[in-house]
Amino acid sequence: MPFGSVVFAFAVGALIVGATGANPFSAYAGLLCGGLGIGCTQGENPALEISNTIVFAIPLITAGVAVALPFRAGLFNIGAEGQLLAGSIACTAIGIKFNTLPAPILLPMVLVGGMAAGALWAGIPGVLKATVGAHEVVTTIMLNYIAQWLLRFLIIGGPLQLGPGTSKSLPIGEGARLATLLPADNSLIIFGLPASVYRVHTGLLIALAAAALFAFLLWRTSFGYEIRAVGQSQKAARYAGVSVRRTIILTMVIAGAFSGLAGAVQIAGVDHNLTDKYFSDTTGFDAIAVALLGLGSAVGIVLAAVLFGALHAGGAIMQSDAGISSNLVLVLQALILFSIAANFVGAIRRGLPFGRAPAALPPELPPAAGLMTEAAAAPPEPT
Amino acid sequence: MSGLEDIFHLLFTANLWQATLAAAVLLLLPALGGTISERSGVVNIAMEGMMLTGAFFAVVADLAFHNAWLATGVAVLAGALMATIHAVVSIQFRADQIVSGIAINIFAAGLTVFLANRIYGLQDVGHVGPTEGLPYIDIPGLDHIPFFGKVLFQQNVVVYMALVLLVLVHVVLFRTRLGLRIRAVGEHPQAADTAGINVYRIRYSAVITSGLLSGLAGAFLAIGISNTFVPNMTDGRGYIALAAMIFGKWTPFGAFIACLIFGLGQAIYDNNSIIHVSPYLLSTLPYILTLVVLAGLVGRATPPAADGLPYVPGSE
Repeated sequence: MPFGSVVFAFAVGALIVGATGANPFSAYAGLLCGGLGIGCTQGENPALEISNTIVFAIPLITAGVAVALPFRAGLFNIGAEGQLLAGSIACTAIGIKFNTLPAPILLPMVLVGGMAAGALWAGIPGVLKATVGAHEVVTTIMLNYIAQWLLRFLIIGGPLQLGPGTSKSLPIGEGARLATLLPADNSLIIFGLPASVYRVHTGLLIALAAAALFAFLLWRTSFGYEIRAVGQSQKAARYAGVSVRRTIILTMVIAGAFSGLAGAVQIAGVDHNLTDKYFSDTTGFDAIAVALLGLGSAVGIVLAAVLFGALHAGGAIMQSDAGISSNLVLVLQALILFSIAANFVGAIRRGLPFGRAPAALPPELPPAAGLMTEAAAAPPEPT
Repeated sequence: MSGLEDIFHLLFTANLWQATLAAAVLLLLPALGGTISERSGVVNIAMEGMMLTGAFFAVVADLAFHNAWLATGVAVLAGALMATIHAVVSIQFRADQIVSGIAINIFAAGLTVFLANRIYGLQDVGHVGPTEGLPYIDIPGLDHIPFFGKVLFQQNVVVYMALVLLVLVHVVLFRTRLGLRIRAVGEHPQAADTAGINVYRIRYSAVITSGLLSGLAGAFLAIGISNTFVPNMTDGRGYIALAAMIFGKWTPFGAFIACLIFGLGQAIYDNNSIIHVSPYLLSTLPYILTLVVLAGLVGRATPPAADGLPYVPGSE
């Protein structure tokens, strides 16, 4: 993981905080406490803070995979957010409609339903890219907003609304819910708190499995080879007998299934219904930073997801303890993105303040992520 | 079907078209900025963030100086400053322009609220007095023309400015030497460089211009239309502007037509009390229409050839 970029972001972030007359050290102390449970001064429970961080990290891992996989094929999936919302919507709709079914039937239904919805949401850009060369960045942005407005329609006046005047959906059935890792038992005391307050859920295992599946798919299957071949050079891949169209569409569909799974797990494991909180959800955008910071490897994605999970969880404590808006976390996230993309750290290391050396994306990512690549200018040949 | 009848009725009211033009202008300014930037070969999905920054600083400056014009100037500069970051990162450092654009949007969303809380405490930024907003101006002699007077000549001052800018951007891009250079840099930077054009300077200027225009749109939104700042108040308009740019096939007047279509949707949305379609469903229309255009059902949308590719001097 490019730790230098993170250090750079925190350094610039400290300058920004300092410039507004606040103390960057107390801000970062709040982040450290809320994110990792270290150095808490206001009586926060470290175990609970770590638990919250993991809860934030779970969807970031799965959605991070959904961005990292298309990266390998030279595709930029900005649509993880829309695909995630589609997954959450499908999970909720199925979980409400069939709320009387028992868990062994209903739970697989809501998770697979979420994956299917995400796959559809990503399949549209995949097909458009493969057939007419419409750039996936633009089409996925459009589909993000379509999903967002569809969500508002569904839970404000639409068929999933809880009741008049509310902006949330009915809850999903008991059988559609993922269990917490610890028993929901108030008499069991763990690290000084009842076990039921820890919200870490079995979706963690699903997320880790998704990361493992990503690595297996990419490096141990012939399809993974095709993805990487298309990412390196579409022309070369075509000569090697790879169907570029098929690879683009399948890659997007699989990525969408991962995003949809992330959204479904969030409903099944944490929220149990759609709320207006989802209007301003940014998991799918955070996932872009996770994928870039994780350098597209499974372990890197998990570590990066934990970092961003810690930032999100820490932001709340920073705001309450240090009085610094939790929005500083977004500033830090943007700085990390700038730093990775521009390779500021490499430029500083080479002693060249104005980065003369060509260095765009991290070296392991294919160079084809620019907005208008060869595939956009001319659709891939039928194979 | 009383719903259809209601919409039909609505289409013949001057109020609707007056609101349509205002909503269109809010999208047109960033769309023009995006068009200039992408014509020079720099992909710009950062209009959302530049607009939001402009909106925030317009309100901050207006509350401090009680002068809408000064506030607008500050907003325009703030937008340009954000654009400069995008330019440095994506032109000088040759970063991925999409990642840089996303970073700008996240940066703006975070920074505006962070600064609001630093300056005003953990509460709302507050209202700008109506007298300190950007003024609405009726053009004497023309504002009483039936129907068209209300639609065209009873508007906010920014609307008139935007229409002038629309013509100006069109003329500069397609009728001047500078425009030829911008387009050459966006289509074939190597050839442009060989012909003695400073590729970096053109691209820097184009990207910063997109920030100026987006900042102006932010000021229009914050101290022309709503007289307050709320977090994330641009609410995706920068992305709709991006859609309008593509819809308009990277031309100013094409973008304007797209903005009018999207603006009409917005105006109908705002008149929702008399129609019976969910406003939320209606809001998906600009995005669906853009997908349809991208799918090639209404002609091909072809971007400038070198759009998104960093220029490395001396490369083939």
